[in-house]
Amino acid sequence: MIEIKNIYKSFETNDVLKDISKVFNEGETNLIIGRSGSGKTVLLKSIVGLLEVDRGQIFYDNRDFTKMNHNARKKLRQEMGMVFQGGALFDSLTVEENIRFPLDMFSVLSAAEKQKQVDYCLDRVNLVDANKLYPSEISGGMQKRVAIARAIVMNPKYLFCDEPNSGLDPETSMVIDELIHSITVDLQITTIINTHDMNSVMEIGDNILFISAGEMCWEGNRKDILHTENQKLQEFVFANKQYQRIRDERINDR
Amino acid sequence: MNIFNQAGRYFALMLKVFSRPERHSIYIRQTFNEIENLGVKSVGIVAVISVFMGGIMTLQVAYNMTNPLLPNTLIGLGNRDSLILEFSSTIMALIMAGKIGSNITSEIGSMKVTEQIDSLEIMGVNSASYLIMPKIIAVVLMFPFLYILSVFFGIIGGLIVGPAVGAVSVADYINGIQYAFIPYYVTFSLIKCLVYGFLIASIAAYFGYTVEGGAFDVGAASTRAVVNTSIMILVWDLILTQLLL
Repeated sequence: MIEIKNIYKSFETNDVLKDISKVFNEGETNLIIGRSGSGKTVLLKSIVGLLEVDRGQIFYDNRDFTKMNHNARKKLRQEMGMVFQGGALFDSLTVEENIRFPLDMFSVLSAAEKQKQVDYCLDRVNLVDANKLYPSEISGGMQKRVAIARAIVMNPKYLFCDEPNSGLDPETSMVIDELIHSITVDLQITTIINTHDMNSVMEIGDNILFISAGEMCWEGNRKDILHTENQKLQEFVFANKQYQRIRDERINDR
Repeated sequence: MNIFNQAGRYFALMLKVFSRPERHSIYIRQTFNEIENLGVKSVGIVAVISVFMGGIMTLQVAYNMTNPLLPNTLIGLGNRDSLILEFSSTIMALIMAGKIGSNITSEIGSMKVTEQIDSLEIMGVNSASYLIMPKIIAVVLMFPFLYILSVFFGIIGGLIVGPAVGAVSVADYINGIQYAFIPYYVTFSLIKCLVYGFLIASIAAYFGYTVEGGAFDVGAASTRAVVNTSIMILVWDLILTQLLL
């Protein structure tokens, strides 16, 4: 479980995050949604410590991340996995080497055990045949799957995904969503996903935080979201014509 | 951004770079990879440039020695000492700042803008140390070897060009390069090479590691890295020459 309390973050005079608090549960896909520029990525980067918050606290299973020293943070980060928007795979390494990298760096497993773990992850993301290819030789969707495999290879307790579906076609997006959701449920990890993809929200949104202009506007789950009275959330959700139709049909059914 | 801010950030990065590595075996492997990428792959260009440099210098010295009282052996001597003292160390360092420096800046800069460095940090890896330390060690180790190769090829260049155009005979040239040799000149230049190697790798890495934005910014950072490294090479050339000669 990850809990954030009263998070504030600004860049010079620009207040990007204002008093955000939320509990992200384990075994659930927790979504942070909002328009582009609403502060989602800053919030996610603040939670993982790539950015320092100005005020507020971040707890990883009751361990206060904001008060940890450099070494304690480094140790905690070995319990984290992150999937970046562009995949962030290492260009000079093959798919297999990318996935094995965290194991080589931190684990005390034998070479055979490492290979077994890599094979398991490749199988999990359905990329067994691509193991010897370089990132530049595979598609965007495959790169995202490799990034997911690398993120889970150390059996993390916390998984973070920044716009995992950006630049992908709807079918591949669905595959990625299902993959992240099944990993979250099977491994009982705490997953936080940044997205503005409404399809993802409706498919895997167990616990949703909507932020607008750096402020927390709404929280709930995918069942609640279509019935929301929140004006800003309505504008966000029903900007998509498909969801407008769903809403209109529901109103007509009543 | 003022120069003191840049200098402060550079030294802060160097402190991060030279902290304890997570796993020594991986760092050692990385260092050998960098020795191959940055050092061994530079041998070709060093050889070509040095042959031409030695040849041109031999012609220049011969052209300026029209006085019949000056022995022709001075042509070989002039070429040798110029190569040993300045050309094979400082001029080669300026050329390597362009080749190796821009390579390091663009590689690390591209990793920064594609979030690969963030990815390393999230794993708990000290990205500065993992990416930069092997490059600095590799360049510092390889630069003295490249210097020695450069001197060798420069002298060969003079030996080919001088007699070929009739500026000096083979015997006079060889006598010249053996005449009044001062071994300390080599020691002095090897010390300069160690400093230049550190400057080239560390300044280039700094500009790559601190880049923000996209591909355009990576290109701009590469240019800034080469310009700043070149200036620092000349500044340190002046300081070391005053201190050591």
